[in-house]
Amino acid sequence: MSEDARATTVLLVGALMIRLAVGGAYAKYVRTGMGPLLLIAGLLLAGLGLFGVVRALRHRGQAASPVEDAHGHRHNERIGWLLLAPVLALLLVTPPALGSFGVARSTGVSVTSGGKVFAPLPPGRTVPMTLLEFDERVADHHGTSLGTTQVRLTGFVTPSSDAQGFRIARYQIACCAADAVASVVRVTGTSGSRPARDQWVTVTGTFNRAADGVPELRAVSLAEISTPVDPYE
Amino acid sequence: MRTPASVEDAPPAGRRRLPEAGLALVTALIVAAVLLRPALTGLLTHPAAANWATIFVAITIQAMPFLVLGVAVSAAIAAFVPPGLIARLLPRRPVLAVPAAAAAGAALPGCECGSVPVAARLVSIGVTPAAAFAFLLSAPAINPVVLVSTAVAFPGRPMMVLARLVASLAASIAMGLLWIALGREDLLNARGSSGAEPEGRRLTRFLATAQHDFLQAGGFLVIGAGAAATLQTLVPRDLVNSIARPGPVSVLALGVLAVLVSLCSEADAFVAAGLKQFSLTARLAFLVVGPMVDVKLFALQAGTFGPRFAWRFSLATFAVAVTSAGLVGWWLL
Repeated sequence: MSEDARATTVLLVGALMIRLAVGGAYAKYVRTGMGPLLLIAGLLLAGLGLFGVVRALRHRGQAASPVEDAHGHRHNERIGWLLLAPVLALLLVTPPALGSFGVARSTGVSVTSGGKVFAPLPPGRTVPMTLLEFDERVADHHGTSLGTTQVRLTGFVTPSSDAQGFRIARYQIACCAADAVASVVRVTGTSGSRPARDQWVTVTGTFNRAADGVPELRAVSLAEISTPVDPYE
Repeated sequence: MRTPASVEDAPPAGRRRLPEAGLALVTALIVAAVLLRPALTGLLTHPAAANWATIFVAITIQAMPFLVLGVAVSAAIAAFVPPGLIARLLPRRPVLAVPAAAAAGAALPGCECGSVPVAARLVSIGVTPAAAFAFLLSAPAINPVVLVSTAVAFPGRPMMVLARLVASLAASIAMGLLWIALGREDLLNARGSSGAEPEGRRLTRFLATAQHDFLQAGGFLVIGAGAAATLQTLVPRDLVNSIARPGPVSVLALGVLAVLVSLCSEADAFVAAGLKQFSLTARLAFLVVGPMVDVKLFALQAGTFGPRFAWRFSLATFAVAVTSAGLVGWWLL
């Protein structure tokens, strides 16, 4: 890798990180709290790359061969080319947020043992809730704390073999999409055809104790929405 | 110490005269990417391909801030710390230097991607490799950021944090001592840890070293991220649920899972907390093995110290880490 190519690679990685952090697209891949860290890392890399580009331009007039020739380890830096792979992947196809493909394959959240104990929900209004909290409340004394209060859940449709209704899921991530684990809730009581796989929906309804123990929401309303800015919980 | 310019590391003369692929190629790739974009959007319609690409990009991006930190520390040591100072600060006898270096790992906040360039730098400035490896293994597991995230992930179980600290420290020290007993310097490939520019002003040297180390570690990180994404896409994680029963098998199973999924050490506690079907000792093995041996770390180590070293070192570390977790878990949990 020549000196200007190396500097440009560093600059490109830095620029990409800045773009992801500023544009908010990073939320598809890592936890939202990491934005500032990505921005700082991107700025540092971009600065480092700029320094290298300036130096390479200055060297160009002086000597034909890069400085590293004297040390004989230049061949080892070919590996640096690979850093262009994530850059190209993001420029070319911009991978989407994790979808239903991984739901059945990831480790399920086990909320049944050692779970939290919840206070009852206030009656008479609709409570927005994460799928994880809904599952945890169902695991706590068979969902007593949910009562008949309406809750609103947001997730994407994931395939299931249920006879009636369909399932929605949403991932929790602690750091990045590689550590995602999904919470799943079954939705029943909707009229019309079930939404397409991976379609994001917001469902409002009340808890229904299902015979097979799957957390179930009896829906009173269902709306298809576009993918949220932060697709994870 | 072998110098980076040692003769056997040099490429064949014929290969070196090949024209360097340079800026033109980078530019051509980017332009082609932008032009081809409409034609390639269908590429990810298969959910498995999309899943792979998302995890690949996620691991790479998530590691970048920590890689930048590690590279900055490594370059600062190369440029601003007088040669020999760190080696002098450590106890002269390797047997004492190993625990000291392992404890010093607590001072580098971050995950495992950052500690590889720092450890390589330590070896290149003359720190005994045993001490550098103890630091390499302990830093991602026992620093305050990781311990706090472990405490958050396991509320009401402070013993989990203590057990992770004790087991990780014990495994790091054991590996350092093992290297003193069995290690051979000729397994180490020193060229990856070379400083880029010995001459020039300090700031220039700092920046040049940082660029060299970043490209080096970053390239191998990309390989590791690709391997981890492939395993996560192909091997269903719930496969391990079938072996979630008490006993040593589950400890081993979660150790293997930690190697395969290559989580960041700042996040692995949250995943371990969710694996409630496993015993606490098995989950401790997940937390002790993960920061020390995993697919992406193996790629980084192989690139930095050489594949012959990385194989032996990773296998030994896995055995030591699982044993340490098993013993500490039996004692504390």
